[in-house]
Amino acid sequence: MDRRKALKKAGLLAGATIAMPSMFSLLQSCKSETRLDWQPEFFTEEEAKTISALIDTILPATDTPGGLDVKADMFIDKVVAHTYDAEGQKYMRDAIAEFNQACKEKYGAIFPELSNSEKIEVLKDAEANSPKFNPGIWGTSVGEQEPVGFYRSMKSMAIWAYFTSEEIGENVLSYDPIPGTYEPCKPLSEVGNRWSL
Amino acid sequence: MANFNIDAKKDMTYDAIVIGSGISGGWAAKELCEKGLKTLVLERGPIVEHVVDYPTMNWDPWDMEYRGGLTPEEKKKHYKNIRSGWVGKDTEHFWADDAANPYTEEKPFLWLRGHQMGGKSLLWGKQTYRWSDLDFEANAKDGHGVDWPIRYKDIEPWYTYVEKFAGISGEALGLPQLPDSHFLPPMELNCVEKHVKERIEKNFEGRNLTIGRVAHLTQPHNGRGQCQNRNRCSRGCPYGAYFSSNAVTLPAANATGNLTIRPYSIAQEVIYDDTKGKATGVRIIDAETNEVIEYSSKIVFVNASALSTAHILMNSTSNRFENGLGNDSGELGHNLMDHTYRVGAIGKIDGFEDKYYKGRRPNGIYIPRYVNIDEKTKSDKFVRGFGYQGGGYRGGNPANVDTFGADFKDNILKPGQWEFFITGFAECLPYHDNKISLNKEVLDKWGQPTLTIDAEFKENEKALNKQIQEDAVEMLEKSGLKEVMGFDKEHPPGYGVHEMGTARMGRDPKTSVLNEFNQVHAAKNVFVTDGACMTSSSCVNPSLTYMALTARAADHAVNESKKLNI
Repeated sequence: MDRRKALKKAGLLAGATIAMPSMFSLLQSCKSETRLDWQPEFFTEEEAKTISALIDTILPATDTPGGLDVKADMFIDKVVAHTYDAEGQKYMRDAIAEFNQACKEKYGAIFPELSNSEKIEVLKDAEANSPKFNPGIWGTSVGEQEPVGFYRSMKSMAIWAYFTSEEIGENVLSYDPIPGTYEPCKPLSEVGNRWSL
Repeated sequence: MANFNIDAKKDMTYDAIVIGSGISGGWAAKELCEKGLKTLVLERGPIVEHVVDYPTMNWDPWDMEYRGGLTPEEKKKHYKNIRSGWVGKDTEHFWADDAANPYTEEKPFLWLRGHQMGGKSLLWGKQTYRWSDLDFEANAKDGHGVDWPIRYKDIEPWYTYVEKFAGISGEALGLPQLPDSHFLPPMELNCVEKHVKERIEKNFEGRNLTIGRVAHLTQPHNGRGQCQNRNRCSRGCPYGAYFSSNAVTLPAANATGNLTIRPYSIAQEVIYDDTKGKATGVRIIDAETNEVIEYSSKIVFVNASALSTAHILMNSTSNRFENGLGNDSGELGHNLMDHTYRVGAIGKIDGFEDKYYKGRRPNGIYIPRYVNIDEKTKSDKFVRGFGYQGGGYRGGNPANVDTFGADFKDNILKPGQWEFFITGFAECLPYHDNKISLNKEVLDKWGQPTLTIDAEFKENEKALNKQIQEDAVEMLEKSGLKEVMGFDKEHPPGYGVHEMGTARMGRDPKTSVLNEFNQVHAAKNVFVTDGACMTSSSCVNPSLTYMALTARAADHAVNESKKLNI
């Protein structure tokens, strides 16, 4: 795929011509400083920082743990290192590079070095321009699936990594490994959060 | 539970040999052993002892290093299986090694195999439905294929017999086209499923929506525990709550003291003695040592799964049967059928936001066949029919929620949108040119010929699929669902994993391989009771029929043996 197409898929080209920083980010003139405190198996430091920053923007810590609290970034690194073939790894590497290149063109820096408000602008644009996943039944999606692009793929991976972490899966989501009975129409208030399994 | 006797060194001679230990092989073993026959079960793969050999049965996602993901090496091993969408770290050990066991697709065909004790009975969908005379008379009425040599009344007592032992849950409806089983209490519909049921039954005369009829126990049964709604069935169930050979039939066979099961035994051929005019045993290759060994028996049951059974028979050549054992008709390996798969509709529904459920019910809904069941419902576009499976659940892909950040995270921790889908299973006609053949160019890990599969769905199946999708969209829209999307994955055969027909039963030895008791016409001590024996495919799931035919054939085998007829 050529770069322009890739950027378009990542939603970073359409409407990206005006690179005027917002008032908020002008006031917040200093760029974010990030330092990696873990050793990736697959990602370069810059790639790892990008993934971490994406996860932190999509799933920030609130009164519940954020994506980085459950090491979603480290898990994604491990997954790409050990379950992707060479082609898949290259695609991931190229997609991150394209994503950062677009950030540079618009904001003058790669994604992890942008201010919070710039990061939000980038992701809002990506969100608005990324195709969605088709519904799925029994393990596969149905209908003609448009490629969702880097942003939504990574968002999906981040959510997967988050939901399937032990902390979220056991303590934040509703966890019941051996339900016993099936209760077909239970008031939501008696369950709370979505089932983790 | 006592360990299985796997010592097949002492005895080279048995009363009966059963090739394969899946759904039908397990039943053959149980019935033959219980009738006092010393029985050797030949299993291509390893022993999988109930509970003991279910290593992943209690794993949570975080217990797996890649949370279910497979490494590139594992994906290579399963390079065909993974097309199904079902192979993950939790079950990959129960799917056959595609690399060691290659097959050639003349046309696209997904051949899913389970090479271990229990076979695919560990992995199956557990949907269990009786066939009716609508099915057994279909070929005779519309002229496709050959007539079944049996009718519903011949198999009805055997359905009851196997159901009472296996344990089938479901709701009795009294429909002639889908006879009721001997049921345990049905599983329950959730509130969206109940809503759709009411709408469909109100808006469409003659259509019913019911809970799936399944081989899951809804109460303790014959010493097995009831379903705990974990929905981790394919890893093996610690409660023995669903029917598998491992949990149900093989332990029963073992309890008689008459069972020997030999693992890592690849059946190469059924040995036919030209002078005696019957089969005298089975030749195997030991998968671990490559040793070739012959076992003798008076009776041979071939239950290796539809394609493998035909493969073994095609490989079994003699002066009498130059083109494969029992292949006087030229039909061996032909008439391959499967059900169409993943064609239907899905939609979203509002109004149930305050409702949820507890438990992961390993079952969905079923809409029995409603077309071509009488003059009134006759279609001018196709023959035969279809049924639907499906279900309602709170799904919604959180990655599609069009925000991110703190509020987004709080939002996706809550259950998603209610969705509901139905997906049809259409009957496939028996076509002589849908076939398998021996491939002597591509050899497996043991130097044996492999199979070339040459099959496709044709115009009638395509017309059925078109109707499935149109009706599905209409039913969902009239049930108040929104964003209804029809779909047809246009899967080639194989995806339904209901391979049937490659050694069909029939009345005439000139046009079929097996008689009305599943005996090879011209070698009456050889029985085939897996999917290979099926003369037509119905639109309902076939496993229960394999069970009933097997028990019936085993009874016949023992009676004929006592009378010295075989």
